[in-house]
Formats: sequence, C-alpha cells, structure tokens
Amino acid sequence: MFIQWKILIRQLAWSAIVLIAVTLVCIRVFPVNATTAGLVYLIAILGIASASGLATAVASSLAAMLCFNYFFLPPVGQFTIADPQNWIALAAFLIAALVASRLSSHARSQAREARRRVEESEHLYAFSRAILLAGPDQPLGSHAAQQIAELFNCRAVALFDAKTGETFRGGVEDLPAEDKLKEAVERGVRIGNGQVIVAPVILGGPPIGSLALKGPPFSEDALRAVLNLVAIAFERVRAQEAASAVQAARQSEELKSTLLDAIAHEFKTPLTSIKAASTSMLSNGSLAPQIRELGTIIDEEADRMNSLVTEAVRMSQIEAGKMRLERTAVDVGALLSDVVAQFGPRAEGRELSLTVSPGLPQISADSELVSLAIRQLIDNALKYSPPASPVRVRIDSGPDGVYVHVHDDGPGIPPRDRERVFQKFYRRAGKANVPGSGLGLFIARAIVRTHGGDVWIEETGGGCEFCMSLPLQKEIAEKRGQTTLSPDANR
Amino acid sequence: MNVGRILVVDDEPQIRRVLRSTLTAEGYEVRDARTGEDALTALREERFDLILLDMNMPGMGGMETCRQIRESSEAAIIMLTVRDAEEDKVAALNAGADDYITKPFSTPELLARIRAALRRLPVAAQAHPESIHLPGLEINLPMRRIVVKGREVRLTPKEFDLLQYLLANPNVPIPHGRLLQAVWGPDYGGQVEYLRVFMNRLRKKIEPEPSAPRYLVTEPWVGYRFVLPGEADRL
Repeated sequence: MFIQWKILIRQLAWSAIVLIAVTLVCIRVFPVNATTAGLVYLIAILGIASASGLATAVASSLAAMLCFNYFFLPPVGQFTIADPQNWIALAAFLIAALVASRLSSHARSQAREARRRVEESEHLYAFSRAILLAGPDQPLGSHAAQQIAELFNCRAVALFDAKTGETFRGGVEDLPAEDKLKEAVERGVRIGNGQVIVAPVILGGPPIGSLALKGPPFSEDALRAVLNLVAIAFERVRAQEAASAVQAARQSEELKSTLLDAIAHEFKTPLTSIKAASTSMLSNGSLAPQIRELGTIIDEEADRMNSLVTEAVRMSQIEAGKMRLERTAVDVGALLSDVVAQFGPRAEGRELSLTVSPGLPQISADSELVSLAIRQLIDNALKYSPPASPVRVRIDSGPDGVYVHVHDDGPGIPPRDRERVFQKFYRRAGKANVPGSGLGLFIARAIVRTHGGDVWIEETGGGCEFCMSLPLQKEIAEKRGQTTLSPDANR
Repeated sequence: MNVGRILVVDDEPQIRRVLRSTLTAEGYEVRDARTGEDALTALREERFDLILLDMNMPGMGGMETCRQIRESSEAAIIMLTVRDAEEDKVAALNAGADDYITKPFSTPELLARIRAALRRLPVAAQAHPESIHLPGLEINLPMRRIVVKGREVRLTPKEFDLLQYLLANPNVPIPHGRLLQAVWGPDYGGQVEYLRVFMNRLRKKIEPEPSAPRYLVTEPWVGYRFVLPGEADRL
C-alpha cells in the first residue's frame, strides 16, 4: 500500500507539472485562442491519463478544466462556472481522461498478465525439466518438492505419495498439513484455506497423492500443470521400479538356470562312473544273488538321480524361457512306437499296448521334447495303476491335429484335482512313496502347449485317461520356425 | 586274446578307471589320456582301433580333438556326450565321429556300440573284381582306395563300409533301416540322422559337386541310392 501512495503522489506531481507547463506555453510562449487552448489541454489530459492511474486522470481533468476556465474562457482571469461552454469543456476533458485512462490501464494490466504468464511458463518448463530428466536413482519426491518451492517461490511445499505414505517437503517454512493431504487424496477434491492450497494428484484414475502449497497465488492453469507433472513423475518412478524388478527377476532366473546347468553337469559326472560300474557289474551272469540285488539297487537309484537332475534342469530352462524347439516333420505313430519300445524293461510283465489309427497326418514338432512328454504320461500311468493292469496308448486324428490318449486302470484323478496335477511339485495325496519329483506333468504340459496343443484329463468310465493334442503342421507353419518355451505359453 | 586297442580320452579319473576296468575285462587293450593333446601324442606313438572321446573336456575340447584325430587317423571314434540334444549328436558326427553315447550310459550299451564301430563289412570280391571308373572318381574296393580327381581320399571305416554297401546294390534305392543295420549292426535302425551326416561326409569327400550329388543320391523318405551310370567301364 505504501508503494501505491508513492506512485500516486509521483503521478500527481508529474501531471501538475505538465498542466502548468501547458498553461504557461499557451499563454506566454505561443499565445493561442480559447479553442486551440482547449484542444491542447485535451491532448495533455490524454497523455496524463495514458501514463497514470484513474485517480490522477480525474484530478488532472478537473485541474485542466479550471485552468482552461480561468486562463482562456472569457472573461479571462475569472472562474465562470455558469457558462454552459465551460461544462461541455469539462465534460470533454473528463470523458477523454476516463477513456484514455481505462484503455491504458487495461493495456498495462494485460501486459502485466502476459509477463506473469510467461514467467509461469518458464517456471513450469524448468520444473518439468528438473523432474522428467531426473536420473533413476535420485529421490524424486523430495527433489520435486524442493523444485516447486524454488521455482515458484513457495514458502512451503508438501508432496504426499499415497502409495508409499511418504511426505516430501520443500521450501523454507514447515507445512504441517498431514491430515489435509490425506483428506485430499481420499476425497479427490481441492482443499484450500487462504494461502494454503491442498490439491490431489490425479493421472486418469483415483488420486495417487496430493500436493500442498503455501505461497504466491498460482493461476489455475499453472496449478493444474504442476499437478500433472507431479503425477507423471510419480508414474515414471513406479514404471522404472517395475521394469527393474522384472529385469532383476529375469536375471535371477537366468542365473539360476546357468547355475543349475553347471550343477547338473557336476552331478552327471559321478553318475556316469556309478552307472557304468553298476551296469558292468550286473552284466556278469554269475553274480551271487545278494550281490546282484545290491548292484540292482545301485543301478536303479543312479537312474533315479539322473532323471531328477535332468528334470530339474529342464524345468529351470522352461522357467527361464531358454528352451528352444527344433521342429521337424514328425510321424507320431513311429515316434510313439519308439517310445513304447523303450519302455520294455520298465513295463515288465505289464501290457503296454499301442493303437495307431491309419492315415495320421504328420505334425511339425520337436521330436525329442514330444517323446519326453509322452514318456511322462506313460510313466505316470504305470506308476499310479495296479502292478498287473494294462496301459493302453491310442493315437487318432481330428480335423485340427493329432490326439494321443494314455489310459490306465488305476484309481483315476478326482475332478477337483484335474487341474492341480499339472502344477509344479504336486504329488497326489496318499502316494508319497511313489518316486518322482512332481515336475513331470508340469514339464509335459509346458512342452505340449508351446507346440500349440494341450494336455488334459478325459472323463472315462473307469481308470484314468490323459489326452494330449498336437496341432497340424499347417497351423504351426504360420508361427515362425523356432519358438521359445515359456511356462505360461497360452493356448 | 586281444579284441582291439582302445584309447580312452576323458578328463575325469573315475570314468577312465571304470572304463579301463570294463574294457579290459572284455579283452580290449586299453590306454588312457587326460586331454586332447595327450590323445594326439598317444596316437602318434601307437596305433589304435577305437577311440572313446569325451565331448566336454577343458582345453582343446572333444570336438576339436576329434577333428584333429581325423586328419591323420581312420580309427573308429565314439564320442561321449553330456546332453541328449540332436544338435550335439549331429555336431559329433560332423566332426568325424562314427557314433556317440550319452552320459550316463550303461556299460552293455557302450560295449555294443564299440562292437558296432569295430565291425567291418567283408569286401565281396566277386561283386566288383577291380576298380570302378567314373568321371572324377575312381573306386578300388579290394584295395580300399578312393581317388577323386587324381588325389587319394581317405575314408573312415564307416564311410567306406557305407559306400561299399551302396555299391553292392547300385541304382537301387536302399532303405535307411537296411543301410543302418548292414553298416552299424542289428541294434541300429532308427538313427536316420547318422545316415544323413555320413552321406554328407561321403558326398563332401567324393562327389565332384557335393551340393548337387551325382552318385550318392537321396531317395526322399526311403533311403539312398548309388547311381552307377549305364555300364561304367570296368577294367
């Protein structure tokens, strides 16, 4: 206010000087008649009004009218108020003064407003740069709060992150507005009392935080812009965290897989010697029965360890997405005959039959992995059915592919477990003494799904039937050549 | 009774130990080597009928050792591989091995493969009394000499046996199974990839243009055929 008085007094002083100068010029230097004088005063008033506020303009109009009246209107040297010409002159001066004054003050305030907006834009730009170019390891919250305080001249800033519950502060003063910050987030509306504004930070959804400011007034646009920038900054931090978490997880999987590969190699080395020795020993016909029995145990357990290690490695490869399919044209009938033949000694005494429908189409598949999957189903059937019961394998074809059915006469799998058996490490309850790691079905299904098929359990009268579908070559040919196995390869 | 001389190459002492014990019991004469370099040294000093070569060895690995052995020796080579992948098998055969077996293996199976690798087809003298002359290729079966464009070419025993069997039934497609059983033995029949690799090796050695074979022709889905043009000159 004091500043405004000073300005006012200065303006009045200047206008007084101008008027006196004009008067002196018109009387002494260039003596003019009343009309000319009136016009000169008008110009003076216009000038004064453009450069001063309304009060000065009105005051100058009055003063100019009095001078004009006294020095130029007849009778000169006297104030004649009665003459209507006088009043018209006054009116003219006043109107001109008013109009000029309003126009110029309007223009000045517009210019002020424009300058202010430019400044605001510059601040916003600086703020956005500071926020968006911040490195990933800079603590964004406190950085943002401080930047807002600095750039926008706020005395106190408080930034509240709803997800982590942290509050970041900036500025010289303290702003104890915890409850207001939380309220803004919950209600999603702006809360303001006087100098302190608390606004929620929203990015196309529920509020993710709130911002409290104490300082010079913000324009609505600027405030909104700041809130948006803060929202974007928050989201950016979250996205970065998610991405690096994913990357860390993937690296950890790859590390696990590499480690597991190395360990498997380490296991296979002594297993090789054990297996070579045990089989060599057992091939001797004249072993004492007890020695033969012990040797058989060593041999079988070595096999078991070997398959455990192989399964674990395969599973870790699947998890790490590292397994690759090598597709060739596969005759499923021939593939299955090979697999069934390999079961020879293991299916001792049991009937393991294979029925192949004629005219089976060839499919494009990785023969090793498909053999593994089928072996797993047959192995399961042998393990979970009575020792003397038959296991029947059947292949037929449908319009979209080839179907392999493995049927056993065991107790079957109740409907509620039919999805669970395919999970990792699932062992059927009450069958804890059956050897295995619980990974077989998981691996088998992952393999088949990557080929575009699936493994499921069919409803049958008695016993248990697993079905495997392998799509036709044509469909697969559309997906390109080698595919990577992933645990959630979707159908 | 010495059934043959075998060189065992593996960096693992226990594996060398168990193989020595088993092979000696079968009547083979066994020497072992720890590394690829030692194996090459041993080969320079003595003659061996068969080499058991581990694929994963530190230093000069199994594949490189196999290639270097093939430059100077036609001894039978069986590679011991760790992984069961097809690419490993094909790589082993392409490097010059005659067969491979995956660790851990059962000894009877290994012994069967050793027997198959050491097996030689008797040369049926009456079928081809002398040489067969073809443009750019001269085959002398009784003397086991092959000359390609004037230069003598050395075939490994399995490659020679394969060629010989195909020649014994010229111009007729011979199924994969029959070829495998004749050359490798009755335990074999389904290993079509062996044939593929060996035929490629043969083609590279004796065909004037290996990528467009004139003599060793593929019969799609069936097998292979040796094309003996008309009545080729038989001296």
